[in-house]
Amino acid sequence: MPLEILLVLVVGGLAGITLLLHLTGRSRRRRMTPDEARSEWIRHFPDDEIIDVTLANDGHSALVRTGVGAGLLWSLGADTVARHLLDFDWIEHPVGFEVQFHEFGTPRAIIRLDETERRHWQHLMDPE
Amino acid sequence: MTDNVSFPDAVQWAVPFFIAAILAEFLWIAVKGRGGRYETRDAVTSLIMGAGNIASGFLLGFIAYAFFMWLWQITPLNLGTSIPVIILCFVLDDFRYYWVHRFGHRIRWVWASHVNHHSSQHYNLTTALRQTWTYTFTFMMVVRAPLILLGFHPAMVLFVGGLNLIYQFWIHTEAIGKMPRWFEAVMNTPSHHRAHHGRNARYLDCNYAGVFIIWDKLFGTFVPEQDEDRVDYGLVHNIGTFNPLRVAFHEWVAIWRDATQPGLTWRERLAYCFAPPGYSHDGSRDNSVQIKAKHLVRHPEDRGTPGFEQFGTVPPNTRAERIRKL
Repeated sequence: MPLEILLVLVVGGLAGITLLLHLTGRSRRRRMTPDEARSEWIRHFPDDEIIDVTLANDGHSALVRTGVGAGLLWSLGADTVARHLLDFDWIEHPVGFEVQFHEFGTPRAIIRLDETERRHWQHLMDPE
Repeated sequence: MTDNVSFPDAVQWAVPFFIAAILAEFLWIAVKGRGGRYETRDAVTSLIMGAGNIASGFLLGFIAYAFFMWLWQITPLNLGTSIPVIILCFVLDDFRYYWVHRFGHRIRWVWASHVNHHSSQHYNLTTALRQTWTYTFTFMMVVRAPLILLGFHPAMVLFVGGLNLIYQFWIHTEAIGKMPRWFEAVMNTPSHHRAHHGRNARYLDCNYAGVFIIWDKLFGTFVPEQDEDRVDYGLVHNIGTFNPLRVAFHEWVAIWRDATQPGLTWRERLAYCFAPPGYSHDGSRDNSVQIKAKHLVRHPEDRGTPGFEQFGTVPPNTRAERIRKL
């Protein structure tokens, strides 16, 4: 196949499918309830015993305390990702916190929190 | 041995079909309200990975081709290009695919290339196109050497490999349940391949087939999809990015970080590169066997069921004890 035609097909197909998915509402981030957050954590870490779950007001992230320490669960598109808070930094962000994981495949998560939540989460993540 | 044999690049010619089929699957799901899920950034990442795979073929494909042509020069055999030879080449190349795919899940160096194909938590036709950019660096092209030395022309071997990939496109869907029984018995199908993409303990390291599922049945890696254990797609530790560069290279970076830690022996450094995924020198991670074993501690009733056969059948008193506890 001539390279120009292949290029047009690939770029055109990619752009068309992207537009179609976005315009039909497939770009929405997942919102969780506390129960969903709990079951999502167990999906990611089936051996963990959950102590409690603190869900952000926007439903996009949750701080999960487990028998082996705290962890963060957050929405990634329509799905979720979870990490134990073992090797990480958190920094202030205009909308809440940015948690930076030292992992190339999971570089960071932005946690949206209002002022009240921010203080509570700060205490939970860094009780010192 | 030189001659002018040429075959079309089947994968490139299939691109219009790929696009049309993705649109058809999306419409099917939208109309029926079942049969899979689509998410914009996930799908875009998969499509970019597919485009990058074609681009990497343009950029790096000459390395494998030069190697194959060198083998073709030294082999005294030439089976020609008749239809039966092409069919035989297709079947033998599918056998080659089974082993390369199995190595891709059991050797971390090869997994680093293949992992991106499993990095989506979705399973739709765009997932089929989430292909590697770094296959050349796995050196798995050597597994094709016997085919060329046996007298199959390199252009034919690459052609049937392309057909194999095209076959595998349509099985990346939840829109198709089960195919007729005879077909499920011989061919790789959406059901078999859904199980392969599962991160559930049961489905780890199963169903490596490309076209013919018989290889898995022959070599003991076949696990049928179970109605009562719905496939959860993705990686044991799902990645948190849609960035194609991170998707393509994250496991290579992880190997580098692991293998260059201070204080390791050379044996441990090599194990971080070539042992099955999940290896750690300090036992802080689980490989697939350990994940299955831990699952059976939580769910002893699954012992001996598909995907857990290597752990034996249900211990004699387990069921009775569980009933007593109830």
